[in-house]
Amino acid sequence: MLRKKSIVDVDSLKLEDIELVLANADSFLEISGRDVKKVPILRGKTIANLFFEPSTRTKTSFEIAAKRLSADIINFSSSTSSVVKGESIIDTLKTILSMKVDMIVMRHSDSGAVKIVDSFVEVPVVNAGDGKNQHPTQALLDLYTIKKVFGKFKGLKVAIVGDFINSRVAGSNISLFKKMGIKVTIVSPTILLPEDFSKMDVRHCIDDVIEESDIIYVLRMQFERQNRKFYPSVMEYNQFLSLDMKRLRRMKPGSIVMHPGPVNRGIEITDEVMEIGGKLKEKIVIEQQVTYGVAIRMALIYLILG
Amino acid sequence: MNENEKKNLLIKSGSIVDPRNDREFTSDILIKGGIISEVKENIKVKGDNIIEIDAEGCKVSPGFVDMHVHLRDPGFEDRETIETGTLAAVKGGITTIACMANTMPVVDTQSLVKYILKKANNSACRVLPIAAMTRGLEGKNITEMGLLAEAGAVGFSDDGMCVRDSNIMYEIMRYSTQFNLPLILHEEDDFISGDGLVHEGYYSNMLGLDGISSLSDDLMIERDITLARKSGARIHITHLSTKDSVEMIKKAKEEGVKVTCDVTPHHLFFNDSYLTSFNTNFKVKPPIRSEEDRQALIAGIKDGVIDAIVSDHAPHLDTEKNTTFKLASFGTIGLETLFSAAFTKLCVEEKIKLQKLISLMTTAPSKIIGIDEGKIKVGEVADLTIIDTEREEEIKKENIISKSRNSVFLGQKLRGKIICTISKGKLAYIINNIKKKG
Repeated sequence: MLRKKSIVDVDSLKLEDIELVLANADSFLEISGRDVKKVPILRGKTIANLFFEPSTRTKTSFEIAAKRLSADIINFSSSTSSVVKGESIIDTLKTILSMKVDMIVMRHSDSGAVKIVDSFVEVPVVNAGDGKNQHPTQALLDLYTIKKVFGKFKGLKVAIVGDFINSRVAGSNISLFKKMGIKVTIVSPTILLPEDFSKMDVRHCIDDVIEESDIIYVLRMQFERQNRKFYPSVMEYNQFLSLDMKRLRRMKPGSIVMHPGPVNRGIEITDEVMEIGGKLKEKIVIEQQVTYGVAIRMALIYLILG
Repeated sequence: MNENEKKNLLIKSGSIVDPRNDREFTSDILIKGGIISEVKENIKVKGDNIIEIDAEGCKVSPGFVDMHVHLRDPGFEDRETIETGTLAAVKGGITTIACMANTMPVVDTQSLVKYILKKANNSACRVLPIAAMTRGLEGKNITEMGLLAEAGAVGFSDDGMCVRDSNIMYEIMRYSTQFNLPLILHEEDDFISGDGLVHEGYYSNMLGLDGISSLSDDLMIERDITLARKSGARIHITHLSTKDSVEMIKKAKEEGVKVTCDVTPHHLFFNDSYLTSFNTNFKVKPPIRSEEDRQALIAGIKDGVIDAIVSDHAPHLDTEKNTTFKLASFGTIGLETLFSAAFTKLCVEEKIKLQKLISLMTTAPSKIIGIDEGKIKVGEVADLTIIDTEREEEIKKENIISKSRNSVFLGQKLRGKIICTISKGKLAYIINNIKKKG
């Protein structure tokens, strides 16, 4: 059982909690490979999947994870924009809790929203992404993917490439990777970084890290989501930051490419790289990340509710 | 209270802090009909028409002057009113308030200035209106500054907003030189601050909260110092938050620019590491900045660059604060904790002399807004505050008397408790268990 029942951020996860989740994930991965992909361990438990911000992948992943454990999962989606105050999250939560749920999975567009909810509800809360703050289950599934590929963490070099400032994935992944002894370099242009990045290991061009990295972790570049940060153009991005065939070929043997999905083809990763076959295809582990994501979420739900 | 109001007051054996003459001495103070009639040791009074207040071991200061308060009246009386705000003020030892113009309607006409003065007639402490610099705080048309001054405005401010157009700001400054009143400036380049919520720095980044760069304050302060130098206007920069702004103002003062400034206790007390709690009471403007900035503000107090301490009391409803950081309103209340928060940080922690703190909260702001407060003098109306500097208290929501309870100091233990306030010559506030006779 996890000592801290809620998963709000990665910083509050203890090393032994992380190892426990990773160790459990293997047996749950096996379940997903069966013909009958269901075990009865959480029969009678109810999970609320609360998505205050649109999401397909994370929401589906939690839903499949819960169903494979035989828990009942109810989906609540509301694309309440931050601008419209409307119903407060607290009131929504009270309504949901009155229906007696055992656990809450929550995504919200505002940083800190999950922590606020966790501080006042009794049931465990799992953060499925809050604003630009944290996305702990993504970080855990990424860590699990790395474990499956390399079998170790210490000494590995990861380069996180792209829009750092607007990414919740970057923040939680960096904390978790560092905690496990992985060396992290950030590759991002100055205007997609905080004002003061002097304490971080930063490069501005993917070419600076492409040969030495074990993992190239590519972030989504959402031109439409840039908040007051003005990156000039896709062409400029391609020149300095995108993963193309030339760069893929320069990567060292055994190294991999990760991405939290969904990929913006032609922006952070070229079409050619996405469609690649043969030996080099093994480097791209984006689909495995999704598969491992279900296993990690099954493990988490089980450890919290089981 | 009505019965008591008619009674004379005798403050026994307090240690009188007199910031005008930079001295401290033990004495009794007799107040008859609201007027200080005697200041000497061992005053004996016969009869029962007197309330005797035992101030032994306590400091007696002139009542505090808070020149940056949002009373929310008219227009937002669900958050605060002149009545409730002044009651909170006297609990904090404050006997004079200057209130900001961002009400609804905005205080940009004579009738609004008069409304406030009239409504404040019966309030617990003196209320002095600050009028808008531009109509509707829109940063476009200059208000009738002459008429507003005649009606009783003590300064001009678009607080909450910053005049974007440098030409308009320059004209405001040129015009203001006709009236000997300060322009009180909220400095924020809103192109820079944008949708920012907190100080742009390590914590904003770690917590995924949009940042407000220090440049937001610094650019406008630099501009306005330049305009003040050129125009000769008297400007007062309110709620400093950045390290560089202290440096700029220091230099401008040395060059003879007519600039003064103030800081709030919350910018002296906290740094941005407190944001990890996601407590929305920490969402204020300008934002609570880094430890380096905080240290620079304290240094600015020590070396005299910073002239005054103000609360920037900004009441908000629970519903405006019990939400996410992004949706929450900016601001914290501060009247009730003005002295104790500043005393805890500056005197207890930083060993700054009490005399100095009291002058920052009495004589200095009085001078800036051109009033004659901050004195303990025979023949004058009594505005006095009695402080127990040894007493520590935890700030709790249930003890707040302001209509709004969005205090950034909730849960903090603060030293220096106001035990009694005499305002407009009357006993305006006294804690329950103080020794008193009559």
